Amino acid sequence: MTLVVENLSKSYGDTNVFSDISFALEKGEILCIRGKSGQGKTTLLRCLNNLETLDKGSIKINNRYLCKEVNGKVNYASQQELKVIRQDIGFVFQSFNLFPHMTVKENLLLAPKFLKKLSNDEIEKKADELILKLDLSTKSDNYPYQLSGGQKQRVAIARACMLSPSILCFDEPTSALDEETMGQISKIIKELAAQGIAIIIVTHDSAFVEEIGGKVITLKN
Amino acid sequence: MNVFNMLIPMTIEGLRITIGVFLATLVISIPLSIIVAKLRMSKNKIIAKITGIYIYIMRGTPLLLQLMFIFFGFHYIPLIGFAFGRYQAIIIAFVLNYTAYLAEIFRGGIGSIDIGQFEACQVLSLSKRFTFMKVILPQVVKNVMPSIGNEVITLVKDTSLVYILGVADILKAAKSVSNTYSTFIPYIFVGIVYLLITAILTKLLDNFESKFSYYR
Repeated sequence: MTLVVENLSKSYGDTNVFSDISFALEKGEILCIRGKSGQGKTTLLRCLNNLETLDKGSIKINNRYLCKEVNGKVNYASQQELKVIRQDIGFVFQSFNLFPHMTVKENLLLAPKFLKKLSNDEIEKKADELILKLDLSTKSDNYPYQLSGGQKQRVAIARACMLSPSILCFDEPTSALDEETMGQISKIIKELAAQGIAIIIVTHDSAFVEEIGGKVITLKN
Repeated sequence: MNVFNMLIPMTIEGLRITIGVFLATLVISIPLSIIVAKLRMSKNKIIAKITGIYIYIMRGTPLLLQLMFIFFGFHYIPLIGFAFGRYQAIIIAFVLNYTAYLAEIFRGGIGSIDIGQFEACQVLSLSKRFTFMKVILPQVVKNVMPSIGNEVITLVKDTSLVYILGVADILKAAKSVSNTYSTFIPYIFVGIVYLLITAILTKLLDNFESKFSYYR
């Protein structure tokens, strides 16, 4: 199993955000998490990426615990372990959060050059491949402000893919797109899944869920 | 012409002080103020509080008083047998004062960066230091340049405060010549020198700002 999630619960003070969520994902599976706004979809995704902490539950990525509940207490992996585990799970933010002072290519190169898991030549080659595959060839030296919403999103996907994650999370991927680019993004997501990446999508867009297929979880209060 | 025979060499001497104090203060204060800004924003409440008090004192008292305090102050502490030299005292006072002002500007600049930038770095497994140096700081510098420019121009004029410790900058030079010849011309002259320095700096600051205009 690529991802195993057990009994996740989270609340802010007295307000319960979500409780007792469990699911598992295999390589190349797609999971859509649906729900109205304010029902904790994004928070759930942020917990999977360790941007927020859980109150209860365990998350296991590629057989390594990001966090594990022991006797009602959630124990997180050490900083050193987290750094490694986190590279297996990528996140495409709703607002993309590209680095505005860097070109498309520089956005892609920053993290792998810092982490140094590959040689510089291999990193450059990988970036070029992703840029080509995501149809960004003409934009590789442009800055984010010069891109359309769809292009920014593809840069964000490419940037996440540079670390070769086994899981890729999308927060509301259709929110900034028109119908045409929506078709593009679902195609890209399906291709990523076909390559073996497990995909988690948080969305309120039923048409998109239909289009993309895969497992569906609906969050309700 | 006698006035200028005396005024020009003395102004050139004075320029060495004015420009020296200006450059030394900037070169030391800017990096230091980034560190102070980070300390001010520290999660450790004690560190944040102490830094806050330092900034409060530096911004809450005149630079002139700080100069006097650092130079003369030690003479009044019995048994310590230590005091700073004039130039040491000047640099320390200017650096302490300007670091406080610049730190507040950088704090505002860091605070204005979208939290999403930090989160993007976090999910990419970048270290905190790398995140700050490569992603946050370049954006902060762009945002704070206009305010920093203001401080830089103010600093040029603040250097005239060194007269209190008997150091002869360009304003002191003008004053001496004016007293000798009973004429106001040296003051007009030195005013023009300040304007020239400011004109050069404004141009340099504009160039530097436009270096960051390649993105939005």
